[in-house]
Amino acid sequence: MRENQEFMAARSLWNGAIRFGLVNVPIKVYGAASSKQIRFREMHITDAAPLEHRRVCAKEDKEVPYDEVVRGYETSPGRYVVMTKDEIQAPARERGKTIDLEDFVPADQIDPIYFDTPYWLGPQQDADEAYSVLLAALEKTGLVGIGRFALRTREQLVALYPVDGALRISTMRFHDEVVDDDDLDLPQPSKKVTDREAKMADALVSSLQTEFDPSDYDDTYRERVLEVVEAKAQGKQIVAPAAAEDSTSTDLMALLEQSVSGARKQKKPKAKARKTKAKA
Amino acid sequence: MPRPIWSGSLSFGLVNVPVKLMSATRDLGVHFNQLHEKDKSRIEVRRVCTQEGEEVPWEEVGRGYELDSGEIVMLTDEELDAADPKKTRTIDIEAFVDLEEIDPIFYDHPYYLVPDSNEAAVRAYHLLRTVMERSGQVAIARFVLRTKEYLVAVRTRGDAITLTTMLFHDEVRSPDDVGIDGVPKPKKKEVDQAVTLVKALQRDFDPANYDDEHRKRLLALVDKKRKGQEIEIPEEPEAPKAVPDLMAALEASIQRMKSGGREALEADAAVEQKDPAALKRLPKKDLLARAKEADIEATSKMTKDELVEALTAS
Repeated sequence: MRENQEFMAARSLWNGAIRFGLVNVPIKVYGAASSKQIRFREMHITDAAPLEHRRVCAKEDKEVPYDEVVRGYETSPGRYVVMTKDEIQAPARERGKTIDLEDFVPADQIDPIYFDTPYWLGPQQDADEAYSVLLAALEKTGLVGIGRFALRTREQLVALYPVDGALRISTMRFHDEVVDDDDLDLPQPSKKVTDREAKMADALVSSLQTEFDPSDYDDTYRERVLEVVEAKAQGKQIVAPAAAEDSTSTDLMALLEQSVSGARKQKKPKAKARKTKAKA
Repeated sequence: MPRPIWSGSLSFGLVNVPVKLMSATRDLGVHFNQLHEKDKSRIEVRRVCTQEGEEVPWEEVGRGYELDSGEIVMLTDEELDAADPKKTRTIDIEAFVDLEEIDPIFYDHPYYLVPDSNEAAVRAYHLLRTVMERSGQVAIARFVLRTKEYLVAVRTRGDAITLTTMLFHDEVRSPDDVGIDGVPKPKKKEVDQAVTLVKALQRDFDPANYDDEHRKRLLALVDKKRKGQEIEIPEEPEAPKAVPDLMAALEASIQRMKSGGREALEADAAVEQKDPAALKRLPKKDLLARAKEADIEATSKMTKDELVEALTAS
């Protein structure tokens, strides 16, 4: 695998300044998350050759070199307004090189459904002092800065908050980009949940209650896919297991009771058990 | 209503709730199509076999994993299924935790879970929702979607249960990993002033206070271009420098917030820092007033850009 990429020095993605009131805090932006999802290549099954993507003009049915490709916004079917790269980027440039904080809001008022991509902010040279002052003020008040910032070609809404002695921003979804639960047409039960059922479900939740420790959860699937790849590379035959049977009973109360007694017997939560095993 | 992406069941002890997975977000981004410059017709992206040079239909597309040696191992869907030992279509709840314990760095994409419409499913769904809402607990679960296993947080939102995919612990970086360390201890006096300032700028969070201005501006530019008008390209912006005296900047911010409020403070910041981007966001009459205050010769006949230029040049 390409593990060595991890140890490369972190490069900043963007340099600019946080601005609130008349204060500027020059900072650098670093990526805080990167997916390790296994990337597969597309292959032609019949001859095991890799596939490539080619840009083809729909009208001429011929491959088009990249320098003949332009970007168009479809205003009505088949009608386009062609925009240059600079024109598309103009709105982001208008934001300038600042993260402009508009408001400070209590952290617990933000539904995490709005959070999108996280980035770390580090102080630029000579900005340590201002950085540490803003960090301390946010830690002390429990407030989160809400602001706007243009990364690459897109201006984003961001939340700025302190974590582990550093400042972080998360880009945020706009209110109209989040589907409301009212839009779902959720079916309602004809009979209300009974107290007995609720108590039993509470007991089940309590029996599975634990402290969240992200390192309790490894991506075991990623590991298993790599094992399958390895086995295949060595010419071994791969056999897929049969599908598991789901329980088909619909007696909610009986299932809850059985679950609770089962959970009590199994003292350690599953996640903890796995961690101990992994460390051994 | 959005279309389901996946269907299976949410499993909680021995209780299985048949559910469908729907995205909790909608894409309102402004998208552009790739066109061939000379005839303005759409560009299609075709999958072509590197050996035969022919287009390959979707049914003949398989997955390959490239080893360090460069050799590619091809896997069929059945072989990939072998990595999921239970071959489940369930979201398995492993634990319940407090919402506050989950650092939002782990959250990836949010979805809704919607129960099948039969009474048993609906009742079990509402039971779980009620109990989670009451206890303030979030379920941590795993499930496989397409070719990836996800760690997910399952919680309530209004009348619904949401599922948010999460990153694994080795997919996130700490401040240390990106080289942020040794932040100095701040001076108490400065922190106190900063606390006063952020509290002065405090308000309740309402997502509806923030519209996607970028989307509006970009669509306005498309419209301008459609009408054959010229689009002005702003210069590559420069980053503002640190303020020379932090304490003075904090104190001045608090004073002006008190006397003129948020908008006056924003205008002051734009003028004092000579930031063209921030100046352009101010109304023209403000720019004119500010120019006069600064003894710059300015008239109402000047365009906004001319006023901004005059204010940044002085």
